[in-house]
Amino acid sequence: MQGWVTLALLLSLGVGCSLGQNGVGELPVPRGLTLNPDLPAQTLSLTWQSDSSLFDLEIFHTELMNVVLNETVAVKTDPVTGLHSWTWHSPLPLECTSHSAHIRARNQQSVSQWSPLQTIPGWDIPEKSESNMFPQDKVVPVGSNMTFCCIVKEKEDFKEIMYGRQEMSATRLSRRTYAITATNQPVSGNTGTNVICCSQRLTLTGAVVFVGYPPGDEGLVCETRDLASAECSWKKGRDTGLRMRRSRTKYTLNGRDCLEANERKRWWCSSKAWEQSWTLVARNPLGTVHLMDSAQLTDRVHLLAPVNVTAVEVKAWSATLQWSWSVAAYKKLEMVCQLQLFAHELNSTRNYSGPGLSSVVLESLWPDVDYTVTLYCGSKHGFWKWGDKSAPYRIHTKMDRPDALDVWMWMDSSNTGCVFWKPLSVRKSHGALVGYEVSQSSAEEDGWTPVSLPPGNFSYPIILNNGSDITVAVAARNPAGLSQPSTVTTPAYRADSQLSMSELLSTNGSFVLSWQPNANASSGYAVEWVPTGCSGLCPVDWKKVPESDSSFTLNSDSLVAGVRYTVSVYALSTGAPTLLQRWQGYSQEMTPSQSVRELLPNQSGSDVLLSWKATAMENQRGFIRGYTIYLANAAHLELIANISDPEVQSYRVKGLSLSSYKFVVKAYTSAGEDAGATVAIKMEMDTADMLFVGILVPLGIMFCCLILISICCYKKREWVKKAFYPEIPGPKVPGDWSSPQGPLDVKPSPHSLVHIVESPEWDFTKEGLFPVPEEEEESENDNIEVDADSDEPALLRYYNQVVGDGSHGNQVSDSSGSSNTSVDSTQTEITYAGIQSPTSSQGACGGGGYRPQMQSVIGPAEPQIEFEADFQDDGLHAGYKPQCSWQLDSPEAENFSGSLGSPTSVTSSQFLIPESSEEKPQPSNTWFHNFLSGKS
Amino acid sequence: MEGAADSDTPVPERSAADRAAALARLLHRDCTRLLELYKEREDFLSQHAPGGERLVTLALCPEAPSTAEQVGHVRSALRRCMELLECLIVREVEEMGEELQGEYESLRKTVKDRLGHLLHSTGALLENGEGGCPPSPPMQCIQGQDEVEASDSFAAKIWTYKVLLELIHWTDSASQTLHVFHTEKHGQQQQQQLL
Repeated sequence: MQGWVTLALLLSLGVGCSLGQNGVGELPVPRGLTLNPDLPAQTLSLTWQSDSSLFDLEIFHTELMNVVLNETVAVKTDPVTGLHSWTWHSPLPLECTSHSAHIRARNQQSVSQWSPLQTIPGWDIPEKSESNMFPQDKVVPVGSNMTFCCIVKEKEDFKEIMYGRQEMSATRLSRRTYAITATNQPVSGNTGTNVICCSQRLTLTGAVVFVGYPPGDEGLVCETRDLASAECSWKKGRDTGLRMRRSRTKYTLNGRDCLEANERKRWWCSSKAWEQSWTLVARNPLGTVHLMDSAQLTDRVHLLAPVNVTAVEVKAWSATLQWSWSVAAYKKLEMVCQLQLFAHELNSTRNYSGPGLSSVVLESLWPDVDYTVTLYCGSKHGFWKWGDKSAPYRIHTKMDRPDALDVWMWMDSSNTGCVFWKPLSVRKSHGALVGYEVSQSSAEEDGWTPVSLPPGNFSYPIILNNGSDITVAVAARNPAGLSQPSTVTTPAYRADSQLSMSELLSTNGSFVLSWQPNANASSGYAVEWVPTGCSGLCPVDWKKVPESDSSFTLNSDSLVAGVRYTVSVYALSTGAPTLLQRWQGYSQEMTPSQSVRELLPNQSGSDVLLSWKATAMENQRGFIRGYTIYLANAAHLELIANISDPEVQSYRVKGLSLSSYKFVVKAYTSAGEDAGATVAIKMEMDTADMLFVGILVPLGIMFCCLILISICCYKKREWVKKAFYPEIPGPKVPGDWSSPQGPLDVKPSPHSLVHIVESPEWDFTKEGLFPVPEEEEESENDNIEVDADSDEPALLRYYNQVVGDGSHGNQVSDSSGSSNTSVDSTQTEITYAGIQSPTSSQGACGGGGYRPQMQSVIGPAEPQIEFEADFQDDGLHAGYKPQCSWQLDSPEAENFSGSLGSPTSVTSSQFLIPESSEEKPQPSNTWFHNFLSGKS
Repeated sequence: MEGAADSDTPVPERSAADRAAALARLLHRDCTRLLELYKEREDFLSQHAPGGERLVTLALCPEAPSTAEQVGHVRSALRRCMELLECLIVREVEEMGEELQGEYESLRKTVKDRLGHLLHSTGALLENGEGGCPPSPPMQCIQGQDEVEASDSFAAKIWTYKVLLELIHWTDSASQTLHVFHTEKHGQQQQQQLL
């Protein structure tokens, strides 16, 4: 029996052990689990009792039982309390929702039962019905991640959560709780970053987060201003971005609050006593910075600014400056002071030292100059830094006599020249100049002849009366007095042509001159340069060189490019300067500004001689090195010659054919060619050729033309005869003209027409014109058709025939009857209807109409009277009057031919009344038509 | 400014009520602009209007049958607004310091000064304290913090927004009431002159 009991006990122990190692329920369940939340820190502390040291933990969001932590941790028993404790940092504010936790013990693979759930309630429980957002007013570093939750008010909907202006994706944690996570947060604005929870209709709640940086302060330095207290300053460093008072950086210096920095936001702190070492602590919610400094007081003296700076004694060349100190302790301090003098081009800095320095004498000032003085000092021993600057103080030095002038004399001929002097700079004038005094003396005259010149003058003309040297003294005057006179004696004039000048080549625009030292140059040398060929007011410049020098570099600053300069070196002594050497050169050669002058071509047979003249020197702008001759074609210039000798100013172009040519001649310097001068020439033949071409060829052509015309005329002789020698029709006399005519019943014709009627006989007893009835006009026009339309040669021939006949014996023989003869010779009667009234026509030339027929019947004894009347009428009437004058001129005219062909000829009715040709058919038209049509 | 022209232009025989009404109109425009500036700083206010109760009400005041009594009521509300504004300034200066001196801070001070002038002007109009709704109990600035129901920054921003809304509302009410008051006074004076 005892054996069975023992076996059963052993079996039960064996099973129990095996169950305890591999099964559930063997390990004791942890006891007394409690949850202690730290809401601002978002941590949850779990404490429990257990004999085990390994535990499984699970934490849930209670409402939805979402597991947020499932972890196995090894936690030892606290020897003091005998409890196990473990802390969990929640990424979510613990207020957001209720959290539950339970725990079980673990021993390798065996675990105990879970402990009962322990819960901490969130703010989303029904008892807290208002909206809330967590966390509030959190201060976090830039770049961190953060989770915000919004607890929605009971019976309110949820729309969104905004982080700043950004709409975030929200996660639902419970019935009323939604959460977002902002990652890599940027620095906030002045009032933080707003996180807003909104429903469909309004803002439910919100929070502000302050995102910034920990303090970035650096470089703590402490110094003393009064040799007793301390001032420590530092650099603020990076802006923390935290503006709100609660998150600003707070400073302590050696454990004391730094009021200057904390309240006034100045980056320094003061301490009433100097300490050997200093520690500044800068702290904000995101971090802490410790800054250290240590130094002896004497090594950190930073003096205050001098006060009451005054100039107690101001002279032309010096001044005494005084000041005082606001700190009495400075009076024993060995200090060094620095004065800064500011003036126009006269800035300088001077150092002074001494114990408690409060006065200095400023030497080497310039007269009549406005100085502005600024003063600052520092400790001489263990110099730390310059102290504060004093307020600027102005000093104006007194005037002094000007310095001696730099004088030179330039001779432009053997007996004329000019004295030049250079204007004095501010440093040399020592006060505003009021003028110059020029005195001259010569060997012939005793004493000096002074002349005063206004301050704007810098030259004075000199004339040598008899060729003897003149010494000129020039002095400048300002209110303080007259300068020492500068004398110069006229140098001997040496024209350029008298010297063998060498060409001066420039180096980078400058002339490098050197000459043989001269024993007579007791006062040194003078280098003079002036534009070559200049006359009148020339820009003469010079530079005086010490006796020890025999070289000089004439800089390009005082030279003009493209201008030829004559550079002379004189030896200076007590007497007149002696010319040592002379050059000519350009600081920079340029292409000539003008082309060659007077470019002329001269043909000689098939050659052309081009000749020209060089351009004026002022236009050369460089030494002429030669000329190039081009033949200008349509599109380009063809180089035909390059003359490298500038003295050669002609060129012969040979072997040109008869054509037109255009030549371009360009002068060139080392800088290149000018634009070129162009000349054109047309090659012509010589005399023999001209004789042949000009005379014989035209003659031959003319002969050929004559022969052709003759042949043509011969073949067309019938037509020629009809065209040029037409048959003259005989006169047709209408009506019976044999019986004498009765008195005329003259009535005016309505038209201004000329009626020509053939009159076989002329009755001289009739006075006035013969009127023709209108009905007869047409027939009469027909009758005179041939006459009226004849061309002039034909008319003349016709006229000659009529006149030559002399068939009318009743013609008067005297000249006064020439008009009658003329009228009679044509055997026509001319009637002017409408031109004048027949009754008034008796007045001869007195009327404005046509009058020759009336004059023809006036006796020859009356021409003078007639002329005078006519002359007067000329001024009154604009009518047709040539026959009046002709009447006057013609009495002595024996030769009728003198009036033939004249428009004033009565015979020529065509000339008198050209209008009639428009009204009548013109035979000339027929002739012309025949000619064109080729009819014979 | 038009408002400045209203208040600065010398008008002969302009009544005190008329001047007070003009000052109230000017102050109303200032308050409106101040709220715009605040919305520029806290841009969420432009998108979502916070809800909640009014900060200044006259619910406890009796009915005001006369215009003079209405002026007295408005003046009481303005006095409360003045207390809120002073509390607002203290809080903002305490939080932000005085180094921020933008347009908002400048206009905030102007509103405070002009509101003080308006209170003085309306007080002078009410010769016998007529319309005397008992003024709200003196508000300590700490009580102003209580008004926001929390001490966090977001609640303070909402509270500031509400204070500015109250300023706009009551300055507008003041301008209208003072205008009516001026019109009635003017009519009475004319009737007296006719008699």
